[in-house]
Amino acid sequence: MTEQDPSQAHRATATWDIHQPVARRSLLLAALAALIGLCIAGYGLFTAQGTRTAVVPAEDAALVNTVPILRADLIAQITALYNVPFAQTSPAQRQKVLDDMIREELYVQRGIEMGLSNDDIDVRQALVQATEGQIAQDAMTSKPSEDELRAWYTNHAARYASEGLVTLHEWRVPSTMDPHGAVAKLRGGASPASLGLTTTGRVDDGEEFAFAAEQHLGSAIFAIARTLQNGAVSDPIAMPDGIHIVQMVRNTRPVPTPYAAARDQVLADFLADKVARLQAGNQRFLKKRADIKIAADLR
Amino acid sequence: MYVTVRRWTVRAGLAIAVAMALLSITAGPAKRRMALSALVLLVIPAGLTGAALWRSGVQASVLRADPEAILSDPALRSVALTNGEHVFAQHCASCHGATGKGDRTLGASDLTDGETLYGIGSVAQIEDIARYGIRAGNKHGWNLAVMPAYARKVPDAAEALPPQSPAQIEDLTQYILAFTNRATDAAAVRRGLAAYTKAGCWDCHGRDLGGDPAIGAPNLTDSVWLYGGRPEDIRRTLERGRAGTSPAFARVLTAAELRNVAVYTASLAHRRQDRT
Repeated sequence: MTEQDPSQAHRATATWDIHQPVARRSLLLAALAALIGLCIAGYGLFTAQGTRTAVVPAEDAALVNTVPILRADLIAQITALYNVPFAQTSPAQRQKVLDDMIREELYVQRGIEMGLSNDDIDVRQALVQATEGQIAQDAMTSKPSEDELRAWYTNHAARYASEGLVTLHEWRVPSTMDPHGAVAKLRGGASPASLGLTTTGRVDDGEEFAFAAEQHLGSAIFAIARTLQNGAVSDPIAMPDGIHIVQMVRNTRPVPTPYAAARDQVLADFLADKVARLQAGNQRFLKKRADIKIAADLR
Repeated sequence: MYVTVRRWTVRAGLAIAVAMALLSITAGPAKRRMALSALVLLVIPAGLTGAALWRSGVQASVLRADPEAILSDPALRSVALTNGEHVFAQHCASCHGATGKGDRTLGASDLTDGETLYGIGSVAQIEDIARYGIRAGNKHGWNLAVMPAYARKVPDAAEALPPQSPAQIEDLTQYILAFTNRATDAAAVRRGLAAYTKAGCWDCHGRDLGGDPAIGAPNLTDSVWLYGGRPEDIRRTLERGRAGTSPAFARVLTAAELRNVAVYTASLAHRRQDRT
């Protein structure tokens, strides 16, 4: 055995003595740090989303020209096709579905290459809907605060009122009868039958929603009917087929729905409004950044 | 494979750390300092990196595994539940509640009762809902049907259905209540059957009112009610309709987060079933 040179031993010891400044140690540590940095950067480069180059990421079943086919989509397709849990499907079944999905992706990519997204009506419609849908998705992932919902409810309370209800009769006045006299007698408590009035048959089903009564009576007569109080009788109404009289039995006005009972609808309306505003904003933005030239005769 | 490699990386790091520690105890002062410096500079970061790699390796295994097998694998389950709970708290709890018990005022379902409106409650299906949503604007999502509003002039924008009168809605309410032995008017129940057919209810809920999980039509014969099962709740549903939504998180959450939260959500129902 040979003895180690004392100066060499001293140099080696001094290199790692943190109390002494040593250029060699600094270089070594810098090199080490650079190496670690390169390793981390390399790992990130080849595994980060959007840089799928070397391996198929864990969440994907395949990459087709770097476009991923999600395992989750594959599982959904397989279970939908064979109607059994994924674990009970055979490798051949899985392979078939994966092959079909790869084929679809290849055709989609080829279709884009060929410009079908511009030419095909169905593709164009689907793209428009998908773009609009994307905005809706983004809008719906953030839930509004309770204060925002309450403010929306307060500002749009009429939307959350119950539908009005009416129970009424519509009488046709015989041409030989004085309509004003008939109205006076009805208001006095006389029965329609004793006066010879006949029903038009349009609102004889008892209580109905206001919108249904409007549909049955027509908007002109309904506009008069909706103002009548319980038990009230309208003035004679001249119609093409003769004189009509409306007798209101019960007029139940719309009642506000309490916030708690309307909360699901408030949330849906709030989000729908948000989506509509975002889509309108998106449209403005797209128009603004686009170079649109319109023929002189069509401006 | 990945899990095994990364597990050995951690073990190697720990072995080096132990070796360095022994060296620092037995060697002279200079070598001890050298060993300690090396320990700090190399072994600890390497150990931490190894641990992180190990966890990401398990996460990758969670993504590659059959979703329905994750809850029965202790290692995968642990990582999925730990990470999934965080995602649930951040993105789902605002509607479904911190414990997943749901919120009837929003129609947010109780995730702990094992009852599912869409599908059979598998992890894969829950993940699909988390990714693509319900009526959330994503065509992959569940968008097929809504509960019509029968007290409106046009009950359903997508399908021509007749509005119902107040009396018919009351008959329908009685008819539905009869399936849970709560009807109070036998004649109304009989009329309700006719209204049920005429209004097209059977098209989604079936002739037996058993519902259809393929389109999210609830079973009306059990004790689970998404918006409440009192007569006034049922009446309100018939009159005003329902169209609950669940956001599509495809562009918000990563694939790992979506899988984790799906496993965590499925586990909420499993826990309940385990207890019972």
